[in-house]
Amino acid sequence: MDDLRTVSKDVDANNTKISAKNVQVYYGDTHAIKDVNVEIKERTVTAFIGPSGCGKSTFLRSINRMNDTIDICRVEGDIRIDGKDIYDRDVDPVQLRARVGMVFQKPNPFPKSIYDNIAYGPKIHGLAKTKAEMDEIVEKSLRRGAIWNEVKDRLHAPGTGLSGGQQQRLCIARAIATEPDVLLMDEPCSALDPIATSQVEELIDQLRESYTVVIVTHSMQQAARVSQKTAFFHLGNLVEYGNTDDIFTNPKDPRTESYISGRIG
Amino acid sequence: MTTLAFAILLAACMVAYALNRRAATGIRDGGQRLHSVSGYHGLFALLMILVPVLVVILLWLVLQGTVVNTLIMSSLPDGTLDGLGAGQVDLILAEIQSIASGRVFGEPEPWKVAAAERFSGMLQTASLGLVLVTALLCLGIMVFARSKVSAEFRARQGVEKIVSGLMIFCSVVAIFTTIGIVASLAFETIKFLRLVPLTEFLFGTSWEPQIPIRADQIASTGAFGWIPVIVGTIVITIVAIVIAIPIGLLSAIYLNEFAPKTVRSVCKPVLEVLAGVPTVVYGFFAILVVAPAIRTLGAQLGIPVAPNTALAAGGVMGIMLVPFISSFADDALSAVPRALRDGALALGATRAETVMNVLFPAAIPGIVGGVLLAVSRAIGETMIVVMAAGLMANLTLNPLESVTTVTVQIVTLLIGDTSFDNPKTLAAFALGMMLFIVTLIINIFALRIVRKYREAYD
Repeated sequence: MDDLRTVSKDVDANNTKISAKNVQVYYGDTHAIKDVNVEIKERTVTAFIGPSGCGKSTFLRSINRMNDTIDICRVEGDIRIDGKDIYDRDVDPVQLRARVGMVFQKPNPFPKSIYDNIAYGPKIHGLAKTKAEMDEIVEKSLRRGAIWNEVKDRLHAPGTGLSGGQQQRLCIARAIATEPDVLLMDEPCSALDPIATSQVEELIDQLRESYTVVIVTHSMQQAARVSQKTAFFHLGNLVEYGNTDDIFTNPKDPRTESYISGRIG
Repeated sequence: MTTLAFAILLAACMVAYALNRRAATGIRDGGQRLHSVSGYHGLFALLMILVPVLVVILLWLVLQGTVVNTLIMSSLPDGTLDGLGAGQVDLILAEIQSIASGRVFGEPEPWKVAAAERFSGMLQTASLGLVLVTALLCLGIMVFARSKVSAEFRARQGVEKIVSGLMIFCSVVAIFTTIGIVASLAFETIKFLRLVPLTEFLFGTSWEPQIPIRADQIASTGAFGWIPVIVGTIVITIVAIVIAIPIGLLSAIYLNEFAPKTVRSVCKPVLEVLAGVPTVVYGFFAILVVAPAIRTLGAQLGIPVAPNTALAAGGVMGIMLVPFISSFADDALSAVPRALRDGALALGATRAETVMNVLFPAAIPGIVGGVLLAVSRAIGETMIVVMAAGLMANLTLNPLESVTTVTVQIVTLLIGDTSFDNPKTLAAFALGMMLFIVTLIINIFALRIVRKYREAYD
């Protein structure tokens, strides 16, 4: 834990990347997120923890406006990235999502080749002018996704043929390929075995150097291992937010303490 | 009396169920552990009675008529039927039957009246026999089933065996029906091919089946080439598919991905109504609205247009296929996992890009399957083309000319006075056989494609 503590001190010096004020999310009549205020630091791994159904994924999906794709979902309040309100009328959710990448719970590679999986994002956003540039982007993304060595000889094999852990790292590489600033991860390891999980966690720790990472996780050990900041959600409320080691060693709210000691959830 | 037999069967089933169930419950209450739950013991008895007795009753009813008729005819006074043809013998039998049922015309001979009395007597005996046999069988099986009840008896396995037997029977019925249809087609086709050589039928480019008066004349002239007919079918099918695929696919994509809920809730039922329109109504539409419109348009543009164009028939058929293709495509698109959609959207793809690059390729197997099934429907479609396509077999690829199709020819060949030793009539079966083979091949392809790509995104 010692090295983590030094890291969190570093992190506090970072600028705020995402700031949310009085965010409410409704699914039809259900009030899923109640009055959430949070400031997420740049180049930090922030973990959202909490029992199932507490709204952490919903809140995560508000950050790249994926909730827009759900008809009955309504978001109120103010979410800013680099000071810019992302729900402002002149913000195009399509461009926002290119800057705010997302990795899902279940690996979801497209039924295309590994190469095409990575190249898809850069292609639709026009990031590469030539084939050589595209090759470079694909290689760089796969290297950053820590999967290059496993797939470099079969870039044109289908992405769906990889193992679960490889698929998830492929999806992370795919998200990185569009050069986002922020990477949202919705329980990225819940479908993976322990070995694949530790590979992905290691990768997340490396990603912190260039990206702001927000990760939703059910595993408190995982939150403690990879994150510098932790937010605890309960029944749609953000109960407590602070440095990860403070949350886990010295929680202020009794609900947080109950959860991390296994009494609720 | 037949009703009584069925009533006995029903009652026996219920009594046997109750008896065995109670017996099994008694054993359980006596402290023994049953192998099967008591309900299965009841069900076992029920099925043991129901299945065989039902088969016996049905067989009895089917065979009764033939047996009684044979007995009556052989009991007529010696020499009555001497020198009579099959038709006259049938006539006598029919007269006896009508006398027996009380409809007497003129003054029948006394031996006919006597035979009629014997006929009614036999029918009565037969139905009495049916009731008796049913009752005895039911009783016998009931006793047998009751004697089986014991703690160790595996009633559940017994029930499962009988039920799986029934299921096998049902699936076999479908298979045998298909085999029967193919066989009847094949026999007539073989007869046809004795009169017209296979090479002429398959490769001849002239189809004029109405000419022949005597079979041997025609077999030598070569007017039974199916090429112009199948080409007509292909032209109309292509027109139909060219219209149906874009409209069907784009409407499915729109409804599935872009349409607001309100539009979708209106459009989907309307499309389903389109699927429910009888093809004969489409035929009216083609002949009264579309064909004149095309002709007028052609006249204005100075293009010669036949009154019965392949375009009119094919176009309307295309409209008929739209709901077919669109519902297949809609299902295929909806079946693409939400995760793939989210994955593309989260990369910053627009909805159109998501549909075109991710959803559509993933849904291709379902869509292709639907399109191929639509093709085989277009090939086999009859009513629209009978009404809107031509009768003359022109060998042409121009959709503005009149063409005929395989199905139209089959209909016209079999309408009116026909004799079954004439190649004109038999040609209909040969065409039917070819149609069957073509659609079968397309269906096999459709299934192959669906199977091959089915798990692509799993």
